[in-house]
Amino acid sequence: MLKIENLHVKVDGKEILKGLTLTVPTGEVHAVMGPNGSGKSTLANVLAGRPGYEITSGTVTFQGRDLLALAPEERAREGVFLGFQYPVEIPGVNNVYLLKAAVNAARKHRGLEEVDAFEFLTLVKEKMRLMRMEDSMLSRGVNEGFSGGEKKRNEILQMLVLEPRLAILDETDSGLDIDALKIVAHGVNTLRSPERSLVLVTHYQRLLDYIVPDHVHVLVKGRIVRSGDKSLALELERRGYDWVTGEAA
Amino acid sequence: MTKSSEAISGAEPRNAALSKRLLDEYAAVRESLPGEVVSPARRQEAIQAISARGLPTTREENWRYTNLRPLERARFAPAAASAAVEAGALGTAAAIGAPALPLPSPSDLPPRLAGFARYAFVDGTFAPELSSPEEQAGLTVQSLRRAAQGTPGRPGSATVFQLSRALPALGNLSEARLALLNEAFATDTAAIHVGGAAEPARVELLFIALAGADSGASYPRVQLGLEPGSRLVLVERHIGAGAGSHFVNTSVDVDVGRGAHLTHYRLQQAGARATWLDTLSAVLAADARYGLLAINTGALSARSTTHIQMAGSGAELALSVAALGDRQQVQDNFALVEHIAPRARTEQTFRGIASGRARVAFNGKIAVREAAAGTDSRQSLRGLLAGPEAEIDVRPQLEIYTDDVRCSHGATAGKLDESMLFYLLSRGLSPEVAQRLLKWAFLEDVVSKIELPELRRQIEHDLAAQMADASLKELL
Repeated sequence: MLKIENLHVKVDGKEILKGLTLTVPTGEVHAVMGPNGSGKSTLANVLAGRPGYEITSGTVTFQGRDLLALAPEERAREGVFLGFQYPVEIPGVNNVYLLKAAVNAARKHRGLEEVDAFEFLTLVKEKMRLMRMEDSMLSRGVNEGFSGGEKKRNEILQMLVLEPRLAILDETDSGLDIDALKIVAHGVNTLRSPERSLVLVTHYQRLLDYIVPDHVHVLVKGRIVRSGDKSLALELERRGYDWVTGEAA
Repeated sequence: MTKSSEAISGAEPRNAALSKRLLDEYAAVRESLPGEVVSPARRQEAIQAISARGLPTTREENWRYTNLRPLERARFAPAAASAAVEAGALGTAAAIGAPALPLPSPSDLPPRLAGFARYAFVDGTFAPELSSPEEQAGLTVQSLRRAAQGTPGRPGSATVFQLSRALPALGNLSEARLALLNEAFATDTAAIHVGGAAEPARVELLFIALAGADSGASYPRVQLGLEPGSRLVLVERHIGAGAGSHFVNTSVDVDVGRGAHLTHYRLQQAGARATWLDTLSAVLAADARYGLLAINTGALSARSTTHIQMAGSGAELALSVAALGDRQQVQDNFALVEHIAPRARTEQTFRGIASGRARVAFNGKIAVREAAAGTDSRQSLRGLLAGPEAEIDVRPQLEIYTDDVRCSHGATAGKLDESMLFYLLSRGLSPEVAQRLLKWAFLEDVVSKIELPELRRQIEHDLAAQMADASLKELL
């Protein structure tokens, strides 16, 4: 599904990713963990195509195609989804309109007709119940006046409606209380399937109690320094990041 | 500062030549101008005042963003009056007859709003063929030209009401002096009087510019008086027929009595090649409420001057303006809100978008006079730069002469928010759709204040058309 090889990325002239290599096969859930400043969010943003990141070398292949050659909207239509660490508020752009525009953009890309308005609304409401969101949130501006937890739930709602092939969730657990974390994790788990891959970018092990990953990678100073199964996350939790940062130094 | 800049502009040779031409044009048509609309003496005063002071120039601080070049080649005499002179019909209101061009068909006009009486004016003169008057309790609407002629069978047409205050105050403000030009050349006046009634009166004024600028100007003119405690919802719409260029100079005079409520929607949808100049002056008595919402999308060169005096204690004003400029349009707005009496509250919201090579400006001045203790004034001005060659000028000005005030103001001008844009792209929207969507959202602070759902839909359609975006229609 996703193959990253020797990726080097600079932000404002400073190298953040220094030769990152990572392969995520179809149907798997991978967690990328790391201390603050290790390059986790840079990785997520580069995959989604955010401007302001200078890729100096390396390749990213998504389903056999050069992902870095695609514009952000093309990546989205091809099935790449980024769950934002800090979802923006867009007052005046209605939530349901954005959802519909996003779904239709992807459908058009695949040569399909636009969704039927009624069926679409029924689907969205069903997913909203799963995310324990009030119907009234649909008619509000995108994330407008939402609490931190509501914004994160709205990200997952968008993901559930868009049904991406590859979802990258950037610190989706940050700022969530335990109840909201369970709702979000439940939402993510319903999307797990043999056709779909997930990359969870997180600082804490906590999320991984609810979304159990197939593989765990530790990112330190722009490189993957250690990979393993879910027990690696538990070991990190017990021993702290000093354990791996010491090794990387 | 204003005085010295006037002196300079008055002495400028080009402007002096313009003033001379103005006087000549006036002399040629004055006999044909209806004295029942504005008395010959008042017209004479007005034309002398404006020619002595000179037409505005961009050297003046509060005119620097206006495109005043159309003034240099404009024909100031009203198209109808010029035609009357040529036909040899002089002297009375009847001299100005039907326009020389065919009237637009009612089906070409914006749809009527349910429950609103419509009064249409073509090139500033009442057009009964396109109007749908409606009797409403407490409401009198008159064409002063018609009223003088004594149109039978129209309620209230026998008495022409007078505004409670003296009108010459109009041109005293340097920024408002184009109203003098209107006073000198006006061919008609829409006079609206509202007395107390259980239900608010509902009126739509539709001004249609028909004559091309080469055959003369159009002078829409409104005098609006609300008796104490009365209520009115007024929709004032300006459109242009055909693709021709028009020269329009509007004057609106508003008097909101004690405790009266006026909701006033102004839609400037003039033709794409039109020059549209406008002066609105309003005085609010104690506890009066005035909601003034303007959407300016039309014309090639537009300038709106708004002067509102909070003359009675506890009066409230909500002034909201949205302006869209594309191609080479100039949308210039100047608003002066004067707090004269204590405890008045005012709120100003401006949202402007400049695309293409357009210039969009809002110059919002708030003056708090000595006696205006307890003033509460808020101002939020935001401009969006949506093209590399576009220009946005938002300028808040505060002049405070008393201590006991609460004034807050914010002014920003900038490009589309990059993080919002990326968010939409990351969901698969194309850059074009994402940008238009964000522009749309930017206007929300003004559009959401439109309380009439039917009018709001019309305005949203107009805005969507202006932004030339089919995908936005889905929103509506």
